[in-house]
Amino acid sequence: MKQLVELMVNNESYELAVEPQTTLLEVLRNDLGLTGTKEACGTGECGSCTVLIDGRPMLSCLTLALDCSQRDIVTIEGLAEGERMSPVQQAFQDCGAIQCGFCTPGMILSATALLEETPRPTEEQIKKALEGNLCRCTGYNKIIEAVKKASGQIAPDQIIPDKIISEQEQESQ
Amino acid sequence: MILPKFRHIRPRSIEEAVQLLAEYGPETRLCAGGTDLFPRMKYGLIRPEAVISLKGIPVKTPKVAPGGELHLDALMSLAEVARSPLVMKQAPILAEAAFNVGSNQIRQMATLGGNLCLEPRCSFYNQSHTFQFVDPCFKRNGDQCYLLPKGKKCCAVFCGDTASALISLGALVNIAGPQGNRELSVEDLYTGDPLRPIDISEKEILTDIHLPVYPLSRGSSFGRFSLRGGVEFAALNVAVTLDMGEDKTSCLKARIAVGAVRSAPVRMIGAEAAMAGNRLSKERIEEAAHLAAAEAHPFPHHGYTAPYLRECLKVETRRAILLAKKRVDGI
Repeated sequence: MKQLVELMVNNESYELAVEPQTTLLEVLRNDLGLTGTKEACGTGECGSCTVLIDGRPMLSCLTLALDCSQRDIVTIEGLAEGERMSPVQQAFQDCGAIQCGFCTPGMILSATALLEETPRPTEEQIKKALEGNLCRCTGYNKIIEAVKKASGQIAPDQIIPDKIISEQEQESQ
Repeated sequence: MILPKFRHIRPRSIEEAVQLLAEYGPETRLCAGGTDLFPRMKYGLIRPEAVISLKGIPVKTPKVAPGGELHLDALMSLAEVARSPLVMKQAPILAEAAFNVGSNQIRQMATLGGNLCLEPRCSFYNQSHTFQFVDPCFKRNGDQCYLLPKGKKCCAVFCGDTASALISLGALVNIAGPQGNRELSVEDLYTGDPLRPIDISEKEILTDIHLPVYPLSRGSSFGRFSLRGGVEFAALNVAVTLDMGEDKTSCLKARIAVGAVRSAPVRMIGAEAAMAGNRLSKERIEEAAHLAAAEAHPFPHHGYTAPYLRECLKVETRRAILLAKKRVDGI
């Protein structure tokens, strides 16, 4: 039997009728069309479904939509201000911390929550905060670099994009 | 993955939840964080008719009782436990254990009570039916266990981390039921039977955890071994609490609890006895570590063999005792 639930997603209020077994992930993707939140394992191991609930990174695949009433939910769509990306999103782009991009929404939300609590995290703290987000492409180094950049620990000119490195290598050869 | 159908009930208080449990009968499950329950439901291992969600119940903040005991709400998330200053002061190893569970997201959702009531796990059982053996094991009402050759009883392993820390600290749990509240030590909470792992009936709820006073002369440490470090259940974990004499070199009392080796966390009685009343020399610590490895009898689980786990236990116990001793010295 469907039940009514009022969800607050990215500062917008939605009233929906959902089955009790519907997860927040299913509501976000199927009912609200916010497909930035991804589903991979569905059992809480990969972190690609991470959303911020009351400012804390949580797994939307293991959260029932009915349990989210009166809670503040932020998905990846809620980070950018219009055309301008959030500092973490911008840092991910600048550092090349994205390849296929499937894990990126979860990574960025986890990183955003970390920086909210710890504005200048150490590398260990970054690793601990992102341990629940698996990435099969980048090898994590660039992601850690991006979080450091977003926290102002790496100056923008210190990051050399891959393209420039390869050009420099070619020149030296 | 899709969840099977169920009725969702959301009580506003523990009393209401206890009433609802009695009303809805044994085919009901409690959901605190949901990080253990929902994967099992998605895999099709359990199919409860109703789920009582405890997420609507307000979480009490940690409180120090007049006697100095620290009272923790079982509904506190592991992340809250790990960062609570009161827990860090009165039960530092509980904060450490909570900080090492699962991943960041799991710690934000999973609760302390849920971690204590974790279902014992087995790599043959905890996965989708498609990958399971054709003949059911004991957990699926079958008549064999695949973990050991010709296994005649279920050997699923209790993988919780916080339980070992709490046993080592001598904590108690409060359980609410239709007949009122009762207290139980965390050690007595576990039956050792994977098919009925905790001594809580279907009509009761674990509500609070009571931690005793942490004396100045106490040192404790928590060690955990797993292959990857994160997003993984422990291969084994060791919690050591040492009560030292005034000279800070002789041990008055030791409590060592080891988790994730059998169907319940186990106390290392032999190793504790070897240390109690003695000066903690290098040899004495080595002897205690050997005794712990000899008396643990680990089940092989999740790809780790029993001899390997025994070796790991020796190393982890030695490290944990040394660290606990160092912490008494204030180093």
